[in-house]
Amino acid sequence: MNLVHFIELLLVVGILIVVGFPLFGKIARKQAFSAVDPLGEEFKHLLVRKEEVLLSIKELEFDFKTDKMSPADYDEMRQKLEGEALTLMERLDELERRKKKGGKS
Amino acid sequence: MNDLGEFALMVALATALYGCIGYVLAARGNRLDLYLSADKTPVIVWGCVVVASIALWKAFMVDDFSLEYVWAYSNRDLDVFYKVSSFWGGQKGSLLFWTLLLTSYMVVVYFQNRKRNAKLVPYALVVMLTITLFFLVLLNFSTNPFERIPLPPEDGRGLNPLLQNYWMVIHPPTLYLGYVGFTVPFAFALAALITKNLDDSWIRLTRKWTLISWFFLCMGNLFGAHWAYLELGWGGYWAWDPVENAAFMPLIIATAYLHSVMIQEKKDMMKVWNMSLILLTFVMTIFGTFITRSGLIQSVHTFDEATLGYYFLAFLGVIIVICVSLIASRLPLLRSKNELDSFLSRESSFLFNNLVLLGIAFATFWGTIFPIVSEAVRGIKITVGPPFYNQVNVPIGLVLLALIGIGPVIAWRRATWAHLRKNFFKPVLIALVFGVGLWIWALPSNRAEVYSFIAFVLCVFVMSTIIIEFLKGTLARSHLHEETPLQALGSLVWRSKSRYGGYIVHVGVVFIFAGIAGSQAYGTHIEQHVKVGESLQIRDYTLKYERLGFIQENPTKTRAVAQLGVYQNGRRVWTGQPEKEFYKGQNQPVSEVDVRSTWKEDLYIILADFKEDDSATLKIYLNPMVSWIWMGAWIIAFGTTVSVWPDRLEARRRLERMKVQDAVFSPAQE
Repeated sequence: MNLVHFIELLLVVGILIVVGFPLFGKIARKQAFSAVDPLGEEFKHLLVRKEEVLLSIKELEFDFKTDKMSPADYDEMRQKLEGEALTLMERLDELERRKKKGGKS
Repeated sequence: MNDLGEFALMVALATALYGCIGYVLAARGNRLDLYLSADKTPVIVWGCVVVASIALWKAFMVDDFSLEYVWAYSNRDLDVFYKVSSFWGGQKGSLLFWTLLLTSYMVVVYFQNRKRNAKLVPYALVVMLTITLFFLVLLNFSTNPFERIPLPPEDGRGLNPLLQNYWMVIHPPTLYLGYVGFTVPFAFALAALITKNLDDSWIRLTRKWTLISWFFLCMGNLFGAHWAYLELGWGGYWAWDPVENAAFMPLIIATAYLHSVMIQEKKDMMKVWNMSLILLTFVMTIFGTFITRSGLIQSVHTFDEATLGYYFLAFLGVIIVICVSLIASRLPLLRSKNELDSFLSRESSFLFNNLVLLGIAFATFWGTIFPIVSEAVRGIKITVGPPFYNQVNVPIGLVLLALIGIGPVIAWRRATWAHLRKNFFKPVLIALVFGVGLWIWALPSNRAEVYSFIAFVLCVFVMSTIIIEFLKGTLARSHLHEETPLQALGSLVWRSKSRYGGYIVHVGVVFIFAGIAGSQAYGTHIEQHVKVGESLQIRDYTLKYERLGFIQENPTKTRAVAQLGVYQNGRRVWTGQPEKEFYKGQNQPVSEVDVRSTWKEDLYIILADFKEDDSATLKIYLNPMVSWIWMGAWIIAFGTTVSVWPDRLEARRRLERMKVQDAVFSPAQE
């Protein structure tokens, strides 16, 4: 066996160990993915949406200051976004409370 | 090392195959152990491809002509610089290079997202592994770069002289980084479709990837144009060659996507459209590869051994079928929540911009495939040349230029006449005054000059809108935050990097439009046979042919150099030295042009031929404003850098999101 063949053999064995380890390691064969927590998912989605809405309010204000929007549209959009931000924050607070309660029980 | 390289490619193929199957079975069977096993494969595949690439590079460096590929694209006298670039000089090596970039991107995606975005990343990795698998099948079974020659020759055939130029080292990798980069947004888009996670997550995850890929593709196109300008020696930079078109089409479609995706993020509209655009961009990159490697179309850019057509056609077909069926099956989930309020709005201007860009892409596509279609239908190959593209794309391009000015200024939702007056009065007035002045100074006398005139007026209009935007933003910020104008300008750009980086990119595009308009309409050229001591005249330049010299640079390369003294208004301003290079074993000599480039114009000299009495045939081009195109490229580079510069706020937001995501998903955390 020359050096190249030895390196090739090492490569294959190394790969088999790395790839095979999880299959024969501590993790049980039938162990499933952890279930997705619907509350956590909603929380994550709302958190992202909250950031987007807050950013949109800032951009809206800047667009208005640089004449990208009529006053009527600005007022309407601002009200809509602020309303959405409030609803989001209320829902986030509620989810936070429910998560804490769930954690305690 | 060759054996090891070949073996590594085979191992990469087997590992990629295992990875694809493992990820899919893990998802279907809800098997964490299988998932963790498959999750090792992206890095292993990358490692194997790196080993194969190092082996091929080493073969070039040590002149190992037992490899057919090294023999075909190198020789002993080739510069080390070009030995490095010979790697991607031919079909086989360029496919390996493509695979190297693809797997490198895959590994970056893997490490960047491994402990987050768990809903999409495994599926995106499956898509990337599958695409890698396709290229590995080609490398192992069709275009093996490690193919041996039974009796190795003493020396190689050498690299095509046209490729022995420093642009060869820069242009293909840049273009490939763009082409291959679009695999990432494509993979995430498919992952979003497969998993039905069709909110904006995939767009946010791939925003920077898309921008960076767009940037590389854009620079790849521009570098290619610069290379053609300096190396092909025909006085131009873009010939609407099928392979140029193949790189141009995905760029145009990706540009459309980059704009319309903003509407989705802001207004939750155009979801189907955006999804289709990003998938189409990737399809066009594969189409471009198919054109280059199928042998269907002849071009200076295609590969000699174009045997891969059927493979790429089949791959293209499979991708299209998968994309169309996934979009069709997810249509109800992709419905927009909002509609256009008015046709006079920013949303509409972005939509028009998309239609215009797609119009350009379609016209280019049709011109590219028409020779194939005509041959298939009528048995006659009808070549579509630059006149077709110019006739169709120039007017559409002018509409696009106008929209670049309108888009950032027009109001969101609906623009009233009062707002239009307020926002457009100044830029329109500036453009009109400039237009009247230009009309008086240089009355257009033919269609090209009329188009050019319109382009210049529109360039001034767009530049005015951008400058006014910067001024307005600075003033508004200065007023809101009580900052000095300079501070306000700095923080304006810093805090809205993507918006103002985008405006800077638009400035670069304006420069490119201006350069094209100037060089296409007002250029001139002469061709003359002259004896030593005779002079030529082109506009206000006098060129005196002074001598012809020969230089033996190395055993395989001889240069014939003509020397011309260039005079302007009686004063010597430059010495031009165009060359003809002769390479051992190559039938055709190669022209090396010499260019005197200023912001106003390029004086471009070609040594077309010479005789024994040292008389020479010279072609002289005077190309106005060409340097503006290359300047535009650097401005685009600067604008894109501003746009993609990491944002601390964004990073903080991402961290916040990750914390929550980690709480709900564990497989990637072992």
